[in-house]
Amino acid sequence: MSSADPASPGDAVALSGVEHRYGDVTAVGPVDLTVPGGEFLVLVGASGCGKSTLLRLIAGFEQPTSGSVRTAGTPSPEPRSGGGGLSAPVPGRGAGLVFQQPRLFPWRSVGGNVALALRYAGLPATPDRVNQLLERVGLHDVAKRRTWQISGGQQQRVAIARALAVENPLLLLDEPFAALDALTRERLQEDLRRVSHETGRTCVFVTHSVDEAVFLGSRVIVLTPRPGRIALDLPIDLPRAGLAPDELRGLPRFAALRAEIGAAVRSRSQEVPA
Amino acid sequence: MTTSLDAPPVATALPRPVPKPSGDRRRRVALRVLALVVLYGLWELAARTTNNPTFIPSSGAVWHQLVVTSSIHDGVRGYSGHLLVEHLAVSLRRILIGSAIGVAGGLVLGLLMGTVTWLRVVTEPVVTFVRALPPLAYFSLFIIWFGIDETPKLWLLSIAALPPVAVATAAAVQGAPTGLVEAARALGATRWQVTRDVTLPHALPEIFTGVRLAVGVAYSSVVAAETINGVPGIGGMVRDAQRYSQTDVVVLGLFAIGLSGLLIDALLRTAENRLIPWRGRA
Repeated sequence: MSSADPASPGDAVALSGVEHRYGDVTAVGPVDLTVPGGEFLVLVGASGCGKSTLLRLIAGFEQPTSGSVRTAGTPSPEPRSGGGGLSAPVPGRGAGLVFQQPRLFPWRSVGGNVALALRYAGLPATPDRVNQLLERVGLHDVAKRRTWQISGGQQQRVAIARALAVENPLLLLDEPFAALDALTRERLQEDLRRVSHETGRTCVFVTHSVDEAVFLGSRVIVLTPRPGRIALDLPIDLPRAGLAPDELRGLPRFAALRAEIGAAVRSRSQEVPA
Repeated sequence: MTTSLDAPPVATALPRPVPKPSGDRRRRVALRVLALVVLYGLWELAARTTNNPTFIPSSGAVWHQLVVTSSIHDGVRGYSGHLLVEHLAVSLRRILIGSAIGVAGGLVLGLLMGTVTWLRVVTEPVVTFVRALPPLAYFSLFIIWFGIDETPKLWLLSIAALPPVAVATAAAVQGAPTGLVEAARALGATRWQVTRDVTLPHALPEIFTGVRLAVGVAYSSVVAAETINGVPGIGGMVRDAQRYSQTDVVVLGLFAIGLSGLLIDALLRTAENRLIPWRGRA
């Protein structure tokens, strides 16, 4: 598999000829894609275009029907050999995952959820470390609360803190803000932008919101519906830091990118009757 | 015109238990008290119209028996040489040990049934069969095997308490939510950690319901278990009283069993709220 290896050192994700079928239906592919380390890649597409499946393939929850998926950061005792040191993904090793629903464990307190993630990673789960992680996603004094005593937006912040607890090089997010109200969603977008910039982690973010894609991504990929293939691959040449969210959204370039990506998403989604 | 494909924002307000207005609560308590008063009135009316204490004893007679069986009088200690509380304590001890064994066995069996498919296929009909049997039916067998002392009684209660816990545990363990299991695996949990940190806590509310059922079954079986050589024991007391047509003692025994049962269920419910605050949240 490593013979025709497009991956270079420093890549975090490499997909080559990846296809995924459910029975007779091809959901994804073929897709060839490499994600360099430190990139914030956003996958955009209409509902049912297989973008979530693609993310689950990268997380290792699904196996491709054909082709290969390899990611960095699966910790292995052997020294990394060629091909950028990538290997087949194993769930829970190498990638933090945030789902559309927070999926917190209600039998544990907010802090207990983060502590559990630390413990699974073999890291010391001290209250200080837990609070530090919660504060990084903008939460204060919630560690002792029950998970249902905080708002939906706060729950999703905890889910992000939990995914950050394990110090993986890769963070995968599957429409994490889709179920939140518009205001909360914007705040979380800003904070995620800040956190990803601060931690320098490679992110793969799935969304159906074009605005969210342009705001968060350093690179945006538009997928075609059924089967999901790459329709547009666009670097986002906007400043990653130093601008307030409103200033960023006010840039003419922001509007231009949004229009271009929006047009690609719409033209592609018309191919499938709703 | 917008380029966003966003769905309209979804409200994510969490459902919170709405505190009931205190007037509503007061009315319910009043209704219960009223029902008790009416029942008491009907009892007294029935006792007076029949005027046959062997058929329906008056509340006064039952109260008198409560005093008699709870004290030493004319050199006789309570009923059949034991005070009422001693009878009750012996029965409660049997219920406690019997349900403890039954619950432990049911937990283990239920966990195995819920996780090992072939084991479920084999044991499910047996468990359902035993569950359908009235405890008195297999008590005879235990008498033949273990004699008439404490052993067959504890066996009876254990076997009676086991199936509800086993069935509840098996069902709860099988229904582990995929979303949370995936979340744990994404955090790097091993198979055992998923079982300990997701499957079991998620199953606990249902298991606890099984435990409450099991204690209830053990409670209702203790009278059956004490039909043979049951003194001391509240069931043995009722049995003896029936033999000598002491209806007032029978009724007193029924009250003792029923009230202590209510108390134990209330205790279990309090424990449940303390131990499993996430019931209904997962």
